[in-house]
Amino acid sequence: MTVRTTAPPELAVTDVTVRFAGLTALDAVSFTVAPGSVHALIGPNGAGKSTCFNVLSGLCRPATGTVRLGDADLTRLAPHRIAALGVARTFQNIVTTQGTVADNLMLGRHALSRAGFAASALRLPQARREQRTHLDRAREIAELTGLAAHFDRPVALLSYGDRKRVEFARALCLEPSVLLLDEPVAGMNAAERARTVEVVHAVRAELGLSVVLVEHDMGLVMRLADEVTVLDFGRAIAHGTPDEVRRDPEVLRAYLGTGSETEEDAA
Amino acid sequence: MTTFLDNVFNGLALGAVYALVALGFVIIFKASGVMNFAHGSLLLLGGYLTAVLHDDLGFAGALAVSVLVTAAVAGAMDRFLLQAGGGADPHAAHVQTIVTIGVDILILTDLSRRIGGDLLSLGDPWGDSVSGLGPVTVADSRIAAIVVSTVVIAGVFALFRYTSWGLSLRASAEDVEAAALMGVRLVRIRMLAWCLAGALAALAAVFLAAFPAPGLERTTGQIALKAFPAAILGGMASPPGALAGSLLIGMTEALVAGYQSDLHVLGEGFGDVAPYAVMVLVLLVRPTGLFGGKAAVRV
Amino acid sequence: MSDRLSGIRTGTPRLWWTLAVVTVLCALPFYLDAFWLRIGLFSMAAAVGAVGLGLLSGTAGQLSLGHAFFLAVGAYGYVWLAGEPGPGLPTAVAAVLAVLLAGAAGGLFSPVAGRVRGVYLGVATLALVFLGHHVLLTADSVTGGFNGRSVPPLELGGFSFSADSELTVLGVPFGAEERLWYLGLALFALTWFTARGLLRGRPGRALVALRDSETAAAVMGVDVSRYRSAAFVVSSMYAGLAGVMIALSFRRVVPDYFGLVLSVDYLAMIVIGGLGSVAGATAGAVFVTALPLLMTRYADQLPLVAAPGTTGGTVGPTEAARYLYGAAIVLILLFAPDGLHGLVRRLRARLRRRSAPPPTAATSPTPSPAPAARTKEPTP
Repeated sequence: MTVRTTAPPELAVTDVTVRFAGLTALDAVSFTVAPGSVHALIGPNGAGKSTCFNVLSGLCRPATGTVRLGDADLTRLAPHRIAALGVARTFQNIVTTQGTVADNLMLGRHALSRAGFAASALRLPQARREQRTHLDRAREIAELTGLAAHFDRPVALLSYGDRKRVEFARALCLEPSVLLLDEPVAGMNAAERARTVEVVHAVRAELGLSVVLVEHDMGLVMRLADEVTVLDFGRAIAHGTPDEVRRDPEVLRAYLGTGSETEEDAA
Repeated sequence: MTTFLDNVFNGLALGAVYALVALGFVIIFKASGVMNFAHGSLLLLGGYLTAVLHDDLGFAGALAVSVLVTAAVAGAMDRFLLQAGGGADPHAAHVQTIVTIGVDILILTDLSRRIGGDLLSLGDPWGDSVSGLGPVTVADSRIAAIVVSTVVIAGVFALFRYTSWGLSLRASAEDVEAAALMGVRLVRIRMLAWCLAGALAALAAVFLAAFPAPGLERTTGQIALKAFPAAILGGMASPPGALAGSLLIGMTEALVAGYQSDLHVLGEGFGDVAPYAVMVLVLLVRPTGLFGGKAAVRV
Repeated sequence: MSDRLSGIRTGTPRLWWTLAVVTVLCALPFYLDAFWLRIGLFSMAAAVGAVGLGLLSGTAGQLSLGHAFFLAVGAYGYVWLAGEPGPGLPTAVAAVLAVLLAGAAGGLFSPVAGRVRGVYLGVATLALVFLGHHVLLTADSVTGGFNGRSVPPLELGGFSFSADSELTVLGVPFGAEERLWYLGLALFALTWFTARGLLRGRPGRALVALRDSETAAAVMGVDVSRYRSAAFVVSSMYAGLAGVMIALSFRRVVPDYFGLVLSVDYLAMIVIGGLGSVAGATAGAVFVTALPLLMTRYADQLPLVAAPGTTGGTVGPTEAARYLYGAAIVLILLFAPDGLHGLVRRLRARLRRRSAPPPTAATSPTPSPAPAARTKEPTP
């Protein structure tokens, strides 16, 4: 099906400011996600990481600033339009819908399929054909993410790690050019974490998409990310490769605390 | 001019009674996230008890018993039927809302069967006496409605503000988890909220059945449904909003009914449904009511 | 969604079952008298309406107390379009237009339906019932006012669904009930087919997603307000169809029938049957519709129930039926939140477990009716 052959467009966030009732959640934040890279957003709780994700996926409108994906301006678009342009996300706390893994993954195919109320109600041939094709692709993605064995199982019966992976796979089903992962390994045990890292690597290699990652697990950030943006009190205080950021004195002061044993500290 | 004043006064009186009912909705919604569709039946229950007891106990005694019993029924309904069906999860509130519809069917069927086609008198002391208030003549029962509602509502607001129950209720409406962590006993807070709402409904029944209404009918409970628009207009989670909504609804109804002859395009008896029309119009502009913030939506 | 997406559950036994059920349903008019057929007709009409409400309130999670209004639009729409006064269209055309009219009424409500949520929507739809009832009473020239209007019988290609012309099939005289029975069956089959297609297809998944988390649905590409409105339109169309069927079965429409009680009845049907499933809505519809009729018929044989017409303190059959289903709502929500449909499913799973080799964890239990998880809504 639609496996991308060209590189995804660049995601550029420019001077985004978000205010809630007098509180500035994001203050002129700018960063750029290079095509095909893994970009991590880190920072202490309340630094504005989730707000930033909400801006990127259209759930929250910035007061000023722009978000662009290639030539498209995402800033004032409704969430479903942003999704249709190829930005998919997962949530910090699992948000799956009732039904099987297949049902959930097929929801991810929503923006890529056409069948409306009339066609589905009358079970027109094209609607059935479309459903079959997309089901095949959903199954492929389930295999890629290690969910093939659970494909027809109700999500409610899966383990925590598997449910988190369902969300991840559902986002992939959108065939996104940019994937936003909000704490993909939070609450997972070591084995599940390793598994997820593997899957992210595999997905990147196979689908060639850009990933924006919010994560508290520093070890994982350092291993996965090509570039890191550090947020603190709504401001972007540092950019750079994981190594550069690790050595940035301001980051150490604001976020990592003392300055030695950074990895063990945060992990 | 006198007609206008008449209508305004009627609107005030109606609004005051609706406020008793609407405040009950809001208290329940704040405490449990449930829209109590059985409220009309609770009101009818209160009215029915007053009606059958006043011969033996006198009006005051009958009213006291009816308020207590209705409060107990409301509380028991919450404690044993609703709270049994799930905790604070928002989906549970949805299910519990439908449970109240089931309870409504049960209570209403039973009371309708007992009342039949009768008109019951509640034996209230005002009867059909009237007083002159400046240029207008008004029913004493309506003056009583305004006075009693004002006093009772002031009392309820004082409860909210100054008692630990009120504080806990407001805290749990803000954040259930945080309130639970602070040791708020949610089960009891909720149940007391339902009791209070039941008591208010029983009281409201007296004024809905009093002159100039012919008496308590089995459909009196449906009149209470007009407090729904009132509560919604106010934003559902805001007691002062419910008051404002009630006055608006009462005024609308009284004025539309009062100027019926000028509004005949809308059909006879439009006053009865005007509150709903106003509500739909308001919801079109403000989907969470006049005073409702975004946070007011709990379901 | 109750049906596994990819699991192939068809195969021959299922086909045989379907055939058997259809045959029995088609044969019934030859054996049952008009009383039973009427119960069947009302049940089928109610089932069509309940499937519509199930889509809206069960699948898409939008509480509606306004279903009676859309039923009324369908019923009165048909009567007006096909009758005098009115344009006097061919009855079949009028029936189709009445369904579309109900859908349009649902569409007109969409500025509210698309934006108002949860209990607010429930009360907003309550307004539809009261305002609708008021219009039915006052717009005499269209609705006939308090006394309503009589319903012109449906004619399809010269065949009249009434007792006007004599018709005997295999020695059984075919009156209005027998003829309407087949019409009802056909329309119910259409409803069953289309509603299940919807639920298993792309729209159904989008609606379930809306119910479980609007935020997640939106970021997965579902146009939230469009789908919320669409759910209303589709549900209203089923209601309109049910309205037409009810009008044809009753042969007279009166405003008081389409009151709040009717809306609550429909809500009871889908709750008793189990939210979000077509089979459940059907079961609930049959239960709620048939119960009072059966109780009335057999009142003299039931303990604690007085014959209709007796007054004073006793429990009449209609009341007994209302007690029963009021209690059914409460008990089902407390003890079996997935309704009759869920009960049957669990029973079947248990039977299968007994006969089949021990299954793995995933095949037996029913998924919980509550959504698997909920989102933290974005900070306002």
